[in-house]
Amino acid sequence: MKFPDHIKIGIGFKLGFLLAAFGILATSLTGYYFYTSSRNMLTSAAERDLLTATQVVGRNMKIIIDVIAEDAQLLAAIPETRNVFNSSADLTAERDKKILADTFTAMLSAHPEYFQIRLISAIRHGLELVRIDRDGRVLTRVLAANLQEKAHYPYVFDTLRLGRGDIYLSDITINHEKGAHSGLNKPTVTVSTPVISRSGKTLGLIVINIDLNGLSSILKSNLPIAYQLYLSNQWGDLLIHPDATQTFGFDQGRRILIQDFFEPVSTLIKGKGTSVVMNVEAGPKKQGGHVAAFVRLPFGDTIEKRFVILGLSQPLDNIVRETTKLGLDTIQIILAFSGLALILSALVSRVVTGPLHAVVGAINHFSKERVISTLPLTRNDELGLLSRSFYDMQTEIMAHLTELNESRKALDHLAQHDTLTGLPNRRMFFDRLEHAIANSRRSGKQLAVLFVDLDHFKEINDTLGHASGDKVLINVAILLMASVREVDTVARLGGDEFVVLLDTIDGQQHVMTVAQKLHDRFQQVMQMDGHELPVHASIGISIFPRDGKDAGELMQNADRAMYNAKNQGRNAFGFLEGGPEG
Amino acid sequence: MLRLACRLFAALSLALSLPAHAVETLRVLAWPGYADSDLVKVFEARFDVHVEVSLVSSDDVLREKISAHQGKDFDVFAANTAEMQHYISQQLVVPLRLSGIPNTAYQLPRFRDLQAIPGITRQGQVFAIPYTFSEMGLIYDRKQFRTPPTSMAAMWDPRYKGRVLAFDTSSHNFSIASLLLGGSPFLIEGQQFGRVTEHLIALRRNVLTFYTLPEESVRLFREHSVALLFANYGSQQLKLLRDAGADVGYVIPREGALAWLDCWAITRGAKNQRLAESWINYTLEADVSGELTRRQGLANTLEASPLTGDADKIIWLKPVENAQRRATLWSRIISGDQPEKFLAR
Repeated sequence: MKFPDHIKIGIGFKLGFLLAAFGILATSLTGYYFYTSSRNMLTSAAERDLLTATQVVGRNMKIIIDVIAEDAQLLAAIPETRNVFNSSADLTAERDKKILADTFTAMLSAHPEYFQIRLISAIRHGLELVRIDRDGRVLTRVLAANLQEKAHYPYVFDTLRLGRGDIYLSDITINHEKGAHSGLNKPTVTVSTPVISRSGKTLGLIVINIDLNGLSSILKSNLPIAYQLYLSNQWGDLLIHPDATQTFGFDQGRRILIQDFFEPVSTLIKGKGTSVVMNVEAGPKKQGGHVAAFVRLPFGDTIEKRFVILGLSQPLDNIVRETTKLGLDTIQIILAFSGLALILSALVSRVVTGPLHAVVGAINHFSKERVISTLPLTRNDELGLLSRSFYDMQTEIMAHLTELNESRKALDHLAQHDTLTGLPNRRMFFDRLEHAIANSRRSGKQLAVLFVDLDHFKEINDTLGHASGDKVLINVAILLMASVREVDTVARLGGDEFVVLLDTIDGQQHVMTVAQKLHDRFQQVMQMDGHELPVHASIGISIFPRDGKDAGELMQNADRAMYNAKNQGRNAFGFLEGGPEG
Repeated sequence: MLRLACRLFAALSLALSLPAHAVETLRVLAWPGYADSDLVKVFEARFDVHVEVSLVSSDDVLREKISAHQGKDFDVFAANTAEMQHYISQQLVVPLRLSGIPNTAYQLPRFRDLQAIPGITRQGQVFAIPYTFSEMGLIYDRKQFRTPPTSMAAMWDPRYKGRVLAFDTSSHNFSIASLLLGGSPFLIEGQQFGRVTEHLIALRRNVLTFYTLPEESVRLFREHSVALLFANYGSQQLKLLRDAGADVGYVIPREGALAWLDCWAITRGAKNQRLAESWINYTLEADVSGELTRRQGLANTLEASPLTGDADKIIWLKPVENAQRRATLWSRIISGDQPEKFLAR
């Protein structure tokens, strides 16, 4: 019966393992989905924030440009500006220009992001009339001989088409206008507005050149350091980029387009939508991934429908750092709950397998020792059912076994006893005799066999019938039994032959006493259904070891002694040869 | 353990590299669109070779790449006629054997007369074979011109003041101005520079503006009722304007249109000149050259372009006498310096 151990490993382990696996799987799946959805949430929140930031930067840019536009409008509206056109005499004209130049200078010193402020004539091929340039740390008024004709620049011919107070914003370009001092070869945008006389005649224009780098510094000043700023024109040519070499490609005869870096921006360039947010695998300087947001901002005159694309990007690391922390937390939670699942499953498996073990123990105990152990009979579950069924089975088996034992005992008895008298039969007698002889050999004590044969029993049978004969035999059995010790054996060998084994006798005298006692008893009349019937017996005696070395010899000599007694007239007892007689 | 891994790796890379070495490789350096991968595959299959295509996007980068290692990095490349003199002088290219490029026989007459094309021959030896070109004609508004303009001089015509678009370039503008003044486009004598500059100031005073990008020219054309436009981007620009809905015509002026002409040349470092010549010959097949026109909108040397007749005068670009001088002057002209300022110098 090895398999209870096997079951202990099998069911307990399997159940525990299954439960633990379910527990861990459920926790891990929940954890994973929690992590991914939270990460998506964090990413989209970051994207939203970035888009909002981009829109705010866009608004800031508009506000800054509006302020510049107001400056331009102010300069176009002040009388000193118109006076420059009205002065007829050179002297007064020069004086008016000087006043205006001072005003320009004042404004330039207040705005470090302004490169240049000019008053340009509508006639004379757009000749500059008053021009103040920033030249490093100083502000320079450009001498008359160095003033230039600018009519062929869009900021001139486009502005001259505008009405009073209207604002023209140029494309953002590199300023290659020779003699532009600090502004030369720098990214620039110009803000201009026409100067219109009281009568409505367009006299010229005011132009303010803005330092794009200054503008981008202002825009970036309120942003977190990790944010990167992008700006492109309406074709996607990059104007502001963290890597300055990627800007103004068209100025060197190549196109470096924002949509090549951020493909989804092309939808904005095509005029579809006003903003895009995206995840970029590799950043502009081959760093890690970026989240980037771009908005389309109207730029300049609404009729022209020009626009710029403004964008911000943020390294994915910043967001990933949050999600990594979230991931680690999730893993910890998963581990904790998995541990809990392991403990719980161990407990559950024990709760289930405990009663099973009890049942198995009970079965073991029962099969080994035929004892019914206590079982969880009162449980209402399958285990209770199993216990009850097993208990019923045990009870039934026990009943069967008892019955079987009893029949076996009866059979044994039958095999070893005489059915009529209940005395041991020949077989059992010989068993006992052999046993007794063996004992005697060990102990050195003597034993005796008395062969008892009823006299004239045939006549009793013939005259009184077999039933009466049987009764006689029964009475003889009782008589013999009553005459010997409990340790002695009385047996019926068959017919009217009986034999008595006297175990451990104290010499021949002792045997003679017993034989005499038997003989005396046979002298009494036997009561039989109202008749008085004399029943006598002839008894032959043999003593071990004197009369035989083994059971056969002993019996033979007892038999011969009995025949001697018969021959001498029956109703007597004696030994084989010349022994004493009763 | 590490040593074993190294040995394994070495053995593996050797095994992998063997078949690659077994097949010959042709290294082509070209401009985008000149060697599209599907056309390259056909060549590879036909000659059982591997073709490695590298792209360039500017003349400067091209010079840099070919000059590195005396041209040993590439077998065959494409450069325009103005650039080719540089490569010949530096002995970076080898004379071509026309017998290896039989398809030259099917080129238009204009391209067969190699001696007439400046810059690609020297001392009777041919160093480059024309492949594609783009001329810079005039685009005009059909509504504003009853008859098409016939000369570049129309850009100076005061009738179109403020309605002319010129291109912001030093070299071509000086060439055109010099040509119109009866001089050579690519060789302006020292004393002529004053006159040419003056003429360009006159142009500046007559144009609306000088554009840079083709898209920019389209926008200006539409918004400022432009009558005349110097088509620096040639047929591609014409297509762009027509696509934008402009009713425009295109002419090659009688004094001739400047044109760049890209030619194939073989480097001194070429491993297999015969294979490189086969490549050039292959690009001159009708299908391959035709695809170039169809895909890139660039004229090829086999079919007559609908925009240029045989009689039209095309002036292939040549190196100018002093590009630096032209550039310096041009930057002052376009910045608006007054004529007196130039005289003062």
